[in-house]
Amino acid sequence: MTREIISTGNELAAIAAVDAGCKFFGGYPLTPSSEVMHTISDLLPKIDGTCIQMEDEIGAICAVIGAGMAGVRTMTGTSGPGMSLKAENLGLAQMAEVPLVCVNVMRGGPSTGLPTRVSQGDILQSKNPSHGDYKSITLCAGSLSECYTEVVRAFNIADRFMQPVIVLLDETIGHMHGKAMIPTKEEVKAGIVPRKTFDGPSEEYFPYECGPTEPAVLNPMFEGYRYHFTGLHHDRKGFPTEEIETCRKLIQRLEDKVEAHKDEIESYEEFMMDDAEVMIVAYGSVSLAAKESIRHLRADGIKAGLFRPITIWPSPAERMKEHADKIEKVLVVELNIGQFHSEVQRATSRLDIDGLFKVNGRAISPHEIVTKVKEL
Amino acid sequence: MARTLMRFTGVGGQGVLLAGEIFAAAKIAAGGHGIRTATFTSQVRGGPTVVDITLDDEEIFYPYANDGEIDFMLSVAQVSFDLFKNGVSKGGTIVVDPNLVTPTEDDKKNWNIINIPIITIAKEEVGNVITQSVVALAIANVFTDALDKKILVDTMLSKVPAKVHDVNLKAYDLGEKYAKEAK
Repeated sequence: MTREIISTGNELAAIAAVDAGCKFFGGYPLTPSSEVMHTISDLLPKIDGTCIQMEDEIGAICAVIGAGMAGVRTMTGTSGPGMSLKAENLGLAQMAEVPLVCVNVMRGGPSTGLPTRVSQGDILQSKNPSHGDYKSITLCAGSLSECYTEVVRAFNIADRFMQPVIVLLDETIGHMHGKAMIPTKEEVKAGIVPRKTFDGPSEEYFPYECGPTEPAVLNPMFEGYRYHFTGLHHDRKGFPTEEIETCRKLIQRLEDKVEAHKDEIESYEEFMMDDAEVMIVAYGSVSLAAKESIRHLRADGIKAGLFRPITIWPSPAERMKEHADKIEKVLVVELNIGQFHSEVQRATSRLDIDGLFKVNGRAISPHEIVTKVKEL
Repeated sequence: MARTLMRFTGVGGQGVLLAGEIFAAAKIAAGGHGIRTATFTSQVRGGPTVVDITLDDEEIFYPYANDGEIDFMLSVAQVSFDLFKNGVSKGGTIVVDPNLVTPTEDDKKNWNIINIPIITIAKEEVGNVITQSVVALAIANVFTDALDKKILVDTMLSKVPAKVHDVNLKAYDLGEKYAKEAK
């Protein structure tokens, strides 16, 4: 069952969070993401939830980590400069295994960049926002409907893998206003899998003692089970340790809990790929221009198709390679200077992947893609 | 219906966003597809703003109007007119508020330029400057014939508070009247 909502991407992301059970939003409004916070600040109090504007983006992510520790589904929203500020504490949430959702509506960078303009310059930042080894999970909405469905999916993945999940929108998707077909609230509610909890005797509770490819089992704080919370390397109870094997196993597990379950996270769309002789790789709002360009190219007799990663990290590498092994002409189109292009090169083991990039804050038009494909 | 591309331009704070939102919603209500995008600068007020409206019976992917293909543009600020006029197809219609925009002789050769004092109509005849977006809405629909009037007006009324329905209906009627006279 689906329902129709006429709205913007930012508003849909906020509505999705509430429908997915989010009860706490900590934020600091930042163009072009502000409407996420505007909308959720209106919605949360009505369902006994809380939205708080903190003093800055650092305070916002810290508040959200606290809510996550308390067992609440929680979200923050920002843009690239805010991600830079949140980076250190996103690392803390990775290390301590606190589930949360972070929406990043991308604008031009680096630094303050182009606040009101579109960009996809945060692809590599979202892979490794903080120092150290861990495996980022990053989803990217390519339509208004996905601003809703990917935020819902992000909450479920965050609770499943006990870590932050980043949802990338971009200025175009965040601000465009139109029709979205989305699942009903009941359907979303039925799909919620609560995070695992431990209900045995408290002396037997070791939150970080889990299988080598499984996430920690963190009970909500202050509900009868004690454990230690730290960004330091820690033992099964959460206390800091430098014991060699414990340290190695912990960091390896942060990597492997995602790597071993990629099939639960990976998602992509293939548009007119069945007989494609040219593969365009694009994501986010650029994929909309790509689809329009494919209509024109096919009308001119050029069999182009689109491969659109919805999960950016971990990337759908195997599927991209399958296509690239058969299709000679591969073009990555993105609003940065090849941030995902390098991932396509890696995934496909090919250095002859073409690129069409733009970094002036303006969208890439379908005509520009058509022209580029005809030059290949 | 083929694709209709409209562009509303002004400066930040004038309320050009709302007209675009109403057009998109009305087209969806009529069973088609509509998307509105807005592009603006970092200036809170006074920066050039452009709203693109795409209406189609088929699904719309790319949400911006392709430069050179726009059927109709409306402009209430010189800076925006100068920046965005080249997006309009040759011979396309551009409605300007003559008190705020002065097109060149070349502009008049390239496009069908229509003068309608949109702000003055809203301020003095309707009595509320905020209604300029509804005046603009009516003008755009007369020139593009994009939507059934009833659906457009009903959608507009659903987006404004009940206590200002009358004043907005008046704004719509006046916009329509001026546009028909100028067409």
